Amino acid sequence: MSGGKVDIKVVLLGKAYAGKTSLVERYIHNRFLGETVPYQNTIGAAFGAKTVTVNNKNVIIGIWDTAGSERYEAMSKIYYRGAKAAVVCYDLTEKASFDRARFWIGELQKHEEGCRIYLCGTKYDIVEENPALRSVDEKEAKALALDVRGEVYVTSSKTGKDIEKIFINIASDYMASKAAAAQKEDDEEIVKLRRSSKKSNCPACKS
Amino acid sequence: MAAEVREAEQIVNVSDSESGQSDFIETEIPGKSNNSLLVASDEFDDISYEELNNGALQAAPMGTINALVKRKVKRQHSIIESDGRQSTVSEDDIANDVENESSEISGDDTQDDNLVLESNLADLSLQESGSLPLEIPSPHLISSTNSETDYVNSIEWKQQKKHIFILSDSGKPIYSRHGSEDKLVTIMGVMQALVSFVADSDKDNLRSIVAGDHRFVFMTRDHLTFVGVTRGKESTQQMLLQLTYMYNQVISVLTLSTLTRIFKSHRNYDLRRTLSGAEKFFDNLLNLMDVEPGLLLSSVRCLPLDSAVRDNISQTIVQYAKVKDLVFALIIAHNQLVAVVRMKKYYLHPMDLHLILNLINASESFKAAESWTPICLPKFDAAGFLQAHVSYLDDECHTCLLLLSVDIEAFYVLSECKAKIQEKLKKYNALAAINNSLRRNSYSIQQCSINDLRHFLYKARSTSQYTSPELEAPYNTKEEQERLFGLYYYLHDRIHTSGRPLKILFHVGPYETLLGWVTPGFELFAVFGPLVTKITAIHAVNKLLRWIKKEEDRLFILSSVTF
Repeated sequence: MSGGKVDIKVVLLGKAYAGKTSLVERYIHNRFLGETVPYQNTIGAAFGAKTVTVNNKNVIIGIWDTAGSERYEAMSKIYYRGAKAAVVCYDLTEKASFDRARFWIGELQKHEEGCRIYLCGTKYDIVEENPALRSVDEKEAKALALDVRGEVYVTSSKTGKDIEKIFINIASDYMASKAAAAQKEDDEEIVKLRRSSKKSNCPACKS
Repeated sequence: MAAEVREAEQIVNVSDSESGQSDFIETEIPGKSNNSLLVASDEFDDISYEELNNGALQAAPMGTINALVKRKVKRQHSIIESDGRQSTVSEDDIANDVENESSEISGDDTQDDNLVLESNLADLSLQESGSLPLEIPSPHLISSTNSETDYVNSIEWKQQKKHIFILSDSGKPIYSRHGSEDKLVTIMGVMQALVSFVADSDKDNLRSIVAGDHRFVFMTRDHLTFVGVTRGKESTQQMLLQLTYMYNQVISVLTLSTLTRIFKSHRNYDLRRTLSGAEKFFDNLLNLMDVEPGLLLSSVRCLPLDSAVRDNISQTIVQYAKVKDLVFALIIAHNQLVAVVRMKKYYLHPMDLHLILNLINASESFKAAESWTPICLPKFDAAGFLQAHVSYLDDECHTCLLLLSVDIEAFYVLSECKAKIQEKLKKYNALAAINNSLRRNSYSIQQCSINDLRHFLYKARSTSQYTSPELEAPYNTKEEQERLFGLYYYLHDRIHTSGRPLKILFHVGPYETLLGWVTPGFELFAVFGPLVTKITAIHAVNKLLRWIKKEEDRLFILSSVTF
């Protein structure tokens, strides 16, 4: 799905209970309900949008918060199709969620080459309080991100740590790549002009 | 008279010769409409083991969505033709699609056709990509502790009023209403043994067992066995209806094609993996069955609204959601129907509507943001998913709008429709009217001003809608409400018993008098105080029918609006 008034389509992927919905809640509504409201798994996918300003330009980020249940796996293609960025979430305290993140990165590389990957370890506040609960090694995450030329973030939706940063970076990366693409287009046009001028010269030389 | 005789029962005879004396006045049927929006292709009486065994129930509707998708493809095709300058590649693609479709028309029973259907609906179906990985990290396994083992062995567990279990052909536990199904492997094994013993020895089907005050009801369909255990008032057939709802819920989450494919390739498959996250739908549906008579009656309750307001709402939907491939648009508030708009020729089955209500009711997650989720409506099409755009129209999250489409890419379009509908309904004060009606809590039995009438259920058959007053004293405690429900189960069962269906039943119980009356047009179940005589009761229901007739515009949706 692409379209609407959205400039950048961002998709959140990851195992159920990795904290995707909390991350979106924190980013869009700046709130954390994890302590007051019992866990609710997402059904299908939820959509939210937010405008950010990068280099004095307003950019609308459309965020698809997908369900983590495996049942929706085959369906997830429609959510990440055409996405410019994917925030692949894993729970810092759950090893299995990191394996699932690997899976999603594989899927993205296979089907959506143009999508930049932002690897995101969630629930940092728990790890901060009790480092023993950390079950995903920092190095491992960095290595995985390096493989796909992505970036690693460690966030906490409870405290708000680094949540904003991910999306600001997504927006500025997008603007940068857009500018680069525009530059490239310009370059190509210049080449064309030269070539065509050469061509028109040739018969003139011959004559 | 009858009132003095406790627990006496009389069947009022209304054969033609005596109808003059019976005092029942055939008034015009309240809530009747020839222009129905809900169509029950089958009802309670159709849900029986006979039907189940001779396959009448098995023949789930398939291909409705496919037909709609086909229409969409054709439309695209014609656009391309008129455009004329499309690249040959895409024309070929579409030609292939059309070819595929023509082969599907021949029939939908064979696996080949199913495959074609699936390839066409690839987006709409939950195809497992590639092989099934073997690691099964079920959330239940992680969370289960010793206390859960203790729980399923406790007296408390044994004394639960109703148990519902789902297990696979091979006896693998899938769901249990009480306690973790993980801890119930043994008991589920026993159930599977019972079912397969009867099936193997006499080529027969195990239907039900009565042991003491417990009733065990079994239903096997599509590789799944559903078992209900109750010590409530539900009859076997009523339990079978509840199990059918559970089956429909499974289909709604998975689709029938996915379910059959999974078990065809892996007889031993642990279905919990695919159903993880859907447990709350089962839990909620079962809770709903305990408090919502609509499921027993295969009908829904409408939110009381002035017909002008309701028309306004439907017309707003028609005007601002005129989008291709949109099949149903509905507004729901607190499990009550506010408005439905449907595509021409397609109807919503009340059982499907209950699944939609359950989807909304069971999940808080829709309140956070606009959602786009697949849902299969088994009575509409058991083979594929519709895509639902779900959003709440007010900040308090009372009024929910659902837009059901066959176009998987339609989210942004529907999102714009939603914004417009929301804006207009706010402007017309329709949302305020809905909230007002919700706050007023339906209506009180007092409003009918009939002495000694305590409560009633009235179902208009042609529209599959029912109405009933608020639960008031003496039915204001949980125990009393359960007892009232038990009375309705009893009355409903006596009237619908397949062996001896009745038209009218007058029953004098120790605490109340019951009157059930079923005609081709309606079903009425009324509960009176204990000292009411037959004559008074008959007068009262006639008066009640007149009252409902007077209020019918407000209580029922009588006109069906189409796009």
